[in-house]
Amino acid sequence: MSLSFKWIVPAALAAAGLSGTAMPAFAETNLTVAIVGEPDTLDPMVSTKDVVSIVTQHFIETLYTFDASWDVAPLLATTLPKISADGTLYTIELRQGITFHDGSTMDSADVVASLNRWLTVATRGKSVASKIVSVTATGPYTIEIQLSEPYAPLLSLLAFSNSAAAVYPEEILGADTLTAVVGTGPYEVIAHVPDQYIQVGRFAGYVPRDEEPSGSAGRRAALADEIRFVPVPDANTRVEGLLSGQYDYADALPAESLARVTANTVAEPVILAPFGWPVWALNHKAGLMTNADIRRAVQAALPIDDMLYAAFGDDNFFMVDGPMYPEGWVWRNDAGVENYNQNSPAKAAEYLKAGGYDGTPLRILTSHQYEFHFKMAEVAKVALEAAGFKVQLDVVDWATLGQQRNDPALWDIYISHSPFLPEPALTDLYASTSRLGWSEPGKDAVWDKFTTTTDLAERQALFADLQRANFEDVGFIKIGGFNALMGQKTGLQGVTPSPWPNFWNATYQ
Amino acid sequence: MTRYILKRLVGMLVVVLIVLTIAFVIVRLAPGDPAALLLGPDATPEDAAELREKLGLNSPILVQYMAFLGNAVRGDLGNSLFFNRPVTEVLLARAEPTTFLALFSLLISLVIAVPIGIYAAYRRGSWLDQSAVSTAMLAASVPSFWTGLMFQRYLATEMGWFPASDYGGPDADFISRMGYLVLPSIVLGIVNSALILRFTRASMLDILGEDFVRTARSKGMSERRVVLRHALKNAAIPIITIIGLTFANLVSGAVVTERVFNLPGMGNLVVNAVLRRDYPVIQGTLIVVAVLYVLINLMVDLVYLLVDKRVRY
Repeated sequence: MSLSFKWIVPAALAAAGLSGTAMPAFAETNLTVAIVGEPDTLDPMVSTKDVVSIVTQHFIETLYTFDASWDVAPLLATTLPKISADGTLYTIELRQGITFHDGSTMDSADVVASLNRWLTVATRGKSVASKIVSVTATGPYTIEIQLSEPYAPLLSLLAFSNSAAAVYPEEILGADTLTAVVGTGPYEVIAHVPDQYIQVGRFAGYVPRDEEPSGSAGRRAALADEIRFVPVPDANTRVEGLLSGQYDYADALPAESLARVTANTVAEPVILAPFGWPVWALNHKAGLMTNADIRRAVQAALPIDDMLYAAFGDDNFFMVDGPMYPEGWVWRNDAGVENYNQNSPAKAAEYLKAGGYDGTPLRILTSHQYEFHFKMAEVAKVALEAAGFKVQLDVVDWATLGQQRNDPALWDIYISHSPFLPEPALTDLYASTSRLGWSEPGKDAVWDKFTTTTDLAERQALFADLQRANFEDVGFIKIGGFNALMGQKTGLQGVTPSPWPNFWNATYQ
Repeated sequence: MTRYILKRLVGMLVVVLIVLTIAFVIVRLAPGDPAALLLGPDATPEDAAELREKLGLNSPILVQYMAFLGNAVRGDLGNSLFFNRPVTEVLLARAEPTTFLALFSLLISLVIAVPIGIYAAYRRGSWLDQSAVSTAMLAASVPSFWTGLMFQRYLATEMGWFPASDYGGPDADFISRMGYLVLPSIVLGIVNSALILRFTRASMLDILGEDFVRTARSKGMSERRVVLRHALKNAAIPIITIIGLTFANLVSGAVVTERVFNLPGMGNLVVNAVLRRDYPVIQGTLIVVAVLYVLINLMVDLVYLLVDKRVRY
């Protein structure tokens, strides 16, 4: 793990009287990780941003986490919970001898206080709060969660590092904003210089689990002494920093840099296949998309192959794939996929006629923040117009999109994307209470059943029904699948490709 | 003269007030919700509304403006919405890279531009003059991001002569942090040298044609003395003006270069603040930039006094 800087001190520096400078000498076991931006908070409870999850998971832990197969695995809990026969009482045994970074010992009071805060301040916690009757400590290392009705996604929500059910010492809680972030993770925060770096160092008091590492589960060995997360918002700068040897790992590289990263001996590409899916979110609360036939017209008109090709430009980086989950996932099924990628202006025109389309412009809200969103919108615009739509492409910056999509009067479709989430209920797209407001009696009943049923086989069948309903009623549109390119220094091992990569088992051979 | 300086400083207050008001209004006219950005993509509209209320973004704009003015008078520019720290602290943290980047770039510009500008004027019409002028045109026409990307790729990544980006990690001391500024300074130095070169050349050309230069030569004075002592001193005022403006420009944020080289300076800060809708930081940066411009202009005017005894305030 060495970073040998070969930079010379140029004559200009010498002329400025700064000759004889010592370039930074890094210790042997420091990792520098280039991330896409500055995490505005180090409290993963209050943010749903991926960049916050990537950084904070190294020092903040949850009761559960996900293994390499995206199954829930225990982290601060000893084992998976005991769930009562009616599915409403979760009994969770906590690991003993866990120390917070402030030296205090974790017990059930800390966990209860943390979960109560999660139910109050976290977006995902609030989504489940109405179903939770109480969280109580029944012993120094045992807690119980009492639900009003069974809720299958609860464990996944407790395991997710995003809007996370983080465990903090009871003493630091109370205010909405934490003054210091104190966790139990294998690393602790040493320094945070905004827009420059977040420096975390190995926590001497950490007691790793015994299981073999798998995804985020199992042993967290903290092999590197320190990890420095450097916010590098410009994707090209991340490429140059990686190829110059400054970064041990660089997140989210542009697809067109694959050839350079592959040809280089300093670094190697890491492809996360698949990473996620672009989504066209439809407005069911107001405007054109409240008409099911016009929604079906949009779905029928979209030339998915062309959109994905325009968006990603390289067959290595996208999949024309209709089902909501990729091959190999338990949620994969083919229900309704015949409606995917129809690319049929004629059929779309029929739907438009049936829907009584009156020429009102279809407002598509998108942004250049993610260039692929904009590129697929441009291609789709042509196809939609060929089918008879009038299209108004509202291209705004990301901040404006984030605001306008909260007002149903301002858009018909907005474009976003999501990683493939381990549990379908981690996204609220299917829920009638979401920003989209997709409500259809049949689908709503299936959704309710899906979230309350705990049997996997039954849930798989219900999810197939949901997927079919989404294709037939067009709740939202999954455009396809796409891969993500990351890069790491040659020889780095122990980093599993993930939307939220972790580095506690990363090492050089 | 004290009276003059005081008058200028009072004028500065008026400029700052105008800048502040315009900034306050324009920033809020732009759509975009800082609360939704802070909470991340999966936050609900209700969460965003709650946070907006907490951040005080829901109060009437006039109330927000008066509160902001009141605090600004006491030197409190508010708290950054994104960093949750005082704006003054956020700005101070950006001062070092930006100031030294500006200084080094200016130094490089001067080392390139002034001697060549003088020589080009002195040898007007020679091949050196013509190539200097066309090179300056080229340097001024090529956007700094392109020069930045090329230098970064070939001199940093491929050759390994410089760090490719960033401003040093936790281990970097002052001197090694300065090492990170060398390549960006060269890029900015080259880009900015074009204007200074052209001003130096034009100003020197005017002066070299003056009677007193001919007189000096006829007295048998050496060419070096004629050009560097008599002509340059008289040609200095426009050159100093352009140097002052270039410096103010550099300090107020070499936005593109800071972005390409991932330097945590004022330019990068203000771009990020706009993208994050961090209103207090945008306003704070604009105030600092306005004050800097006025102060640098004042300093330039005072330097005139030193170079030209005829100038009186």
